[in-house]
Amino acid sequence: MTVASQVKQTLAGLKSVQGTLRIYSTQSQDEETVSIYKEALETTQAVINDLEKRVQVLEFQEPQYRGN
Amino acid sequence: MQMWLQILYRSIALFIIVLVATRILGKRNIARVPLYKLVSYYAIAVIAVLISLNIVKEVAFGFIALGVWVLFPLLLDYLSLRSKRFHDLINGKETVLIKHGKIMEDNLKRTRLTGEELLRELRSKNAFNLMDVEFAVMETTGEINAYLKSDKKPVSSHDLGIITAPQAEPQTVILDGNALNESLASLGLNKEWLNIQLENMGVSLDNVFLGQVDSSGDLYLDLFDDAIELPESKVKEMIYANIEKAQASLTTFALETEDDSAQAMYDKNAQKLKQLMAKLNPCLLR
Repeated sequence: MTVASQVKQTLAGLKSVQGTLRIYSTQSQDEETVSIYKEALETTQAVINDLEKRVQVLEFQEPQYRGN
Repeated sequence: MQMWLQILYRSIALFIIVLVATRILGKRNIARVPLYKLVSYYAIAVIAVLISLNIVKEVAFGFIALGVWVLFPLLLDYLSLRSKRFHDLINGKETVLIKHGKIMEDNLKRTRLTGEELLRELRSKNAFNLMDVEFAVMETTGEINAYLKSDKKPVSSHDLGIITAPQAEPQTVILDGNALNESLASLGLNKEWLNIQLENMGVSLDNVFLGQVDSSGDLYLDLFDDAIELPESKVKEMIYANIEKAQASLTTFALETEDDSAQAMYDKNAQKLKQLMAKLNPCLLR
């Protein structure tokens, strides 16, 4: 597996985590818990943005593996 | 009118009157009401029986007596609510039986309680060893409550220094195969949501005896058919595990990459995820 595809896999995992966190942030009854989930959403979003940027750089460096 | 008919009518009428009277008198636990109320309950019962069996010849006299026994407790309740002094006068004050771990013999004598009785009451509060009791008090209802010494109290998560996620009470959304719209609405959910959840679990609404939604919005079901084994929801544990996995991968990337700025980025994000895990731990794992 190339580095780019490994990073992409991690990215996909984080996105799925973010989706589930979003469900919990909407259906939780306790406000404190909701705010923790919201914070978690922001943090994961920041990490996802960084990783996406990194994927672009990697794809630029290894164009032969683009799309994997 | 025939005698038996008369008794029948009176009994039915009095049953309804007594029902209304006891509803007015309130819904406190019968074992925890002050004595005067207990006495008035008995008096109401006896008077009602006497009237219904035609032992009280003049019905009006019977009702006067009944009225007094119903209205006086109400009046006393009202006055006790208004004035603290009146409340103490009527209900008395609680008596301290054990203070700083020592039995107050004078107070014990005043409440006419023997040592054995005190020990029996304490045992019923799970304090078998007198040494463990810091403070005990006889309430005005005669009930004895004990406060254990701090090292003998049950351990709470606070004592252990563990942060737990706040949890509200669960709501029952399915009862006997029927969806309860009211409790669903109070959670901000609707029947469509419930149908989707049930479909995901592969059960039909008719087969559910009881369904509860906890404060994080997870549905727990009990089915009529106990042979069906429902998978326990592990979604939260899965999220946590996935974050953990992502964090480990980022650390690996940081070690493998030769680009300095990428390494810094991976390290920073791995750190972020680690802090996130610490924060989410109480919500997701406990």
